[in-house]
Amino acid sequence: MNFGQRLGIALSAFVAFAVGAIAVTSLLLGDNPAIFNNQPGSERAAELLALPGDVLLRLVVIVISLSVVIGIANLLYVHVGRVARGKVYSGALLASFGVAIFWHLTRQGDPSLLEAVQLPIESSLAALLFVSLVAGASRVMQKRADVWGLLFVAVVVLVLLASVPLAELAPLRAWRDWLMRVPVSAGARAFLLGIAMATVVTGQRVLLGQDRSYRG
Amino acid sequence: MTESMIALLSFVLTLMVFSYLLGDLPLIGNLYRLAVYIFIGMSAAFTLIVGTESVILPYMQDVLDPETTWTSLGSRADTYIFLAALLVALLLLLKPVRSLTWLTNSVFAVVIVVSASVAVVGALTGTLFPLLHSTAALPDDILTDFDAMVDTLLIFLGTMTALYYFHYQTRLDSEGAPAQSRMGSGLRHVGKVFLVIALGAIYASTILSSLTILTERISFLFQFGA
Repeated sequence: MNFGQRLGIALSAFVAFAVGAIAVTSLLLGDNPAIFNNQPGSERAAELLALPGDVLLRLVVIVISLSVVIGIANLLYVHVGRVARGKVYSGALLASFGVAIFWHLTRQGDPSLLEAVQLPIESSLAALLFVSLVAGASRVMQKRADVWGLLFVAVVVLVLLASVPLAELAPLRAWRDWLMRVPVSAGARAFLLGIAMATVVTGQRVLLGQDRSYRG
Repeated sequence: MTESMIALLSFVLTLMVFSYLLGDLPLIGNLYRLAVYIFIGMSAAFTLIVGTESVILPYMQDVLDPETTWTSLGSRADTYIFLAALLVALLLLLKPVRSLTWLTNSVFAVVIVVSASVAVVGALTGTLFPLLHSTAALPDDILTDFDAMVDTLLIFLGTMTALYYFHYQTRLDSEGAPAQSRMGSGLRHVGKVFLVIALGAIYASTILSSLTILTERISFLFQFGA
């Protein structure tokens, strides 16, 4: 690695650290006059503190939306190449893309293409999920016949049976409601807290320059 | 497009997707793939339309309109922000050029770091603090309502032990092998009970949601057939 490359890495790390520090400070503390003890001029100071975060956020939103456009252009470019090699499915993809754009340009506000094509495919794919989930649940007991597999399947069966509108199954509904209110709530809180903590840890690694995925 | 045309297209596309259930048969197996490719093409088109019309065009209109401003810096600052964003996007396109890596990496770093900042601040203020507060908060009727007290304690115990389940630190025993304390192992088992129950309930809820959609699709197919 030569001096120029090292300098480039140091520069990108410095930019990342500086921008990260400004963005986190601004987003976390901005627009909050209380941190200045509501002294005279604290409104203006809070507004100024929020300004860098606001500017950076606007900048990144525009860049990300432009990146989406670039990504779609790349998708089309790849599939044009595949059509040239005789791939029929890519032709269908390009045709459906073209039809949707043409439809939007010529009949703005008409949602019938969305209703006729997009919604049926989306909902049919979601319906197929039922088959996969039921097959997965049945395999749990084949692959993992222990107390945890049994508990998992018992909860699944209890929640499913409690959803059946039969008077005979009413006692199960009380069980299901308690299950949802207490153990499921506790487990879900733990998952959400875990995800949030992992996000904070991963984010601070990026902000401190320990994780430099932007080097590519 | 007429109602009957919409229904016919929906019918055909639904059958094409459901052909997946028949397996990889000649011709029939291709119908599912065809439907998925149509779906991807149309999703890309709608994403492009929404991205352009909801973000890029309104921002361009704001930039051109001197009456509107995004920040307290005034309308001219909007123009600079927009031009800077265009420049950044252009520089991202130059990533394959090796001699400009230092520049494109720095620009890419800004995008990644601002996204990470938003994620960190969002996770802290939107999830972590409110959830910790609500988990540790006691209900008003805790002293009079025994059930509420037990439920609150169970939720607290469940949340803490479920979080402890993901704690993998061990100590070396007398023989130098890594081992977890009995208490730690017990807490992890309690946490696992809560996690398995939560996963089971989420799984069942997902089954119910997909079953509802499947019922709707099948009833549509029968209605169209009739």
